[in-house]
Amino acid sequence: MNKYGPKEILLGTIKTCLLLIVLEIFTTAFLPAMGIINFRPEFNVLIVLFLAFKLETPVLAWLIMIVQYVHSLFSIEGWAIGAFTGVLVSMSVRYLKDMLDFSTAISTIIVVQIFQVAWFVATSFLLSLKLGDFGNFFHLFWQDIPESLALSILSPFFFFVLDRVWRVKSKAVGVAI
Amino acid sequence: MKNFTVDSSRWKLANNIIVVVLALWGIAVQNYSLKDVSTFEAFLIEAFAPIQRGALSTREKLANMLDHYVMIVNTSKDNAELRKEVKALNNQIFEFQEVKKENERLKQLLQFGKEIPREKVLAQIVSWDASNEFKVLRINKGSADGLKKMSPVITMNGLVGYVYRLTPNYADILTILDQNNRVDSIVARTRTHGIVEGISEFKCRLKYVNRTEKVEVGDEIITAGLGNIYPKGIKVGKITQIDKENYGITQSIVVTPSVNFHKLEEVVVLIEKEEKTENRDVAKEETNE
Repeated sequence: MNKYGPKEILLGTIKTCLLLIVLEIFTTAFLPAMGIINFRPEFNVLIVLFLAFKLETPVLAWLIMIVQYVHSLFSIEGWAIGAFTGVLVSMSVRYLKDMLDFSTAISTIIVVQIFQVAWFVATSFLLSLKLGDFGNFFHLFWQDIPESLALSILSPFFFFVLDRVWRVKSKAVGVAI
Repeated sequence: MKNFTVDSSRWKLANNIIVVVLALWGIAVQNYSLKDVSTFEAFLIEAFAPIQRGALSTREKLANMLDHYVMIVNTSKDNAELRKEVKALNNQIFEFQEVKKENERLKQLLQFGKEIPREKVLAQIVSWDASNEFKVLRINKGSADGLKKMSPVITMNGLVGYVYRLTPNYADILTILDQNNRVDSIVARTRTHGIVEGISEFKCRLKYVNRTEKVEVGDEIITAGLGNIYPKGIKVGKITQIDKENYGITQSIVVTPSVNFHKLEEVVVLIEKEEKTENRDVAKEETNE
């Protein structure tokens, strides 16, 4: 089994963060400039799901936190809710690994959609809990669904790119240092 | 190898626990009404915001390209030079028209609210928040321009929100569409008090209005001036839906904001005169240091 050295993790993290910054700028500035204000896909979720699905490194939790920190520069959501949810997702992936299949585009889309729904349930719950108002729970949850469908459809291509960034294909699934 | 795996899984578990605990602490201390930024965060926001701002000019260039180049691919070569000149002139006219429109908008904005005893700072929208859950705008003015946290933000049509997060050259505005922004308001016709709270999708809700109050669809909502954030009398929106349930003591009132957030390009930040000079001095000192 392959190992990820500190250098590879550092490089992968930098490249992933740069990709996220480009996508965040696209979402926050370019789409609104085109008049698309109500459609804001959360690419940070897709990146965290990729890390959770495909990387097996002891520092995974910190990587998720870094991704969420970069996201917090473009959103007042902050890093904490996403980091908490991301670590929970990565822990659940460990137990569901045998059931997850990324061999075809369709299976990738389905798996990503299921985990996105779980993500939005968790974040909507945490946000409602934080705000002390569960009246908007379903609204918070449903408003993310159209974007999540778009992200799921994009996920095979997106994972293909991130596979190259993290060299997952040549290394299969990496293992701890 | 076995020992190695056990060690790495323990390390992973330890990391997971540390990050989860940190995240729980982060959630606990996160404030969705007002935010302080660290120097590092301010530096990163300052670094990325100009790129976000650049997206606006990219749009104009793309629109120009589509309008003036792609549509004329099949024109004959004989007319190419003349058409180029016409295109250049058209581009110039287009740019002049845009500048004229912008000037008119800015003039109207500056003329607006003369009766409000505060200094006005014009700002342009740079970007929107990356999360759907939050309705936050980023503008191209910051503490160096005299802005302060919780400074109210308006347009000539009405209330936009207040300054939530601030860096020297940029500021994040928590709009009235966000559920974390609560505006103490009154119904202009009946002087009924209530709290306007965002419910997203460009609608707000007027809460805590007693069901015996005779408010009607079309009634205008203005700021009450309480709460030390917004000056009194700024338009918030109009009542567009009222639901009186058979139970409960309040009415469910939906308010459509006066500001068209779809078409928002420039805003005015209201600041106290003393605040402005003080902040500028501080920003200057920081720059000198």
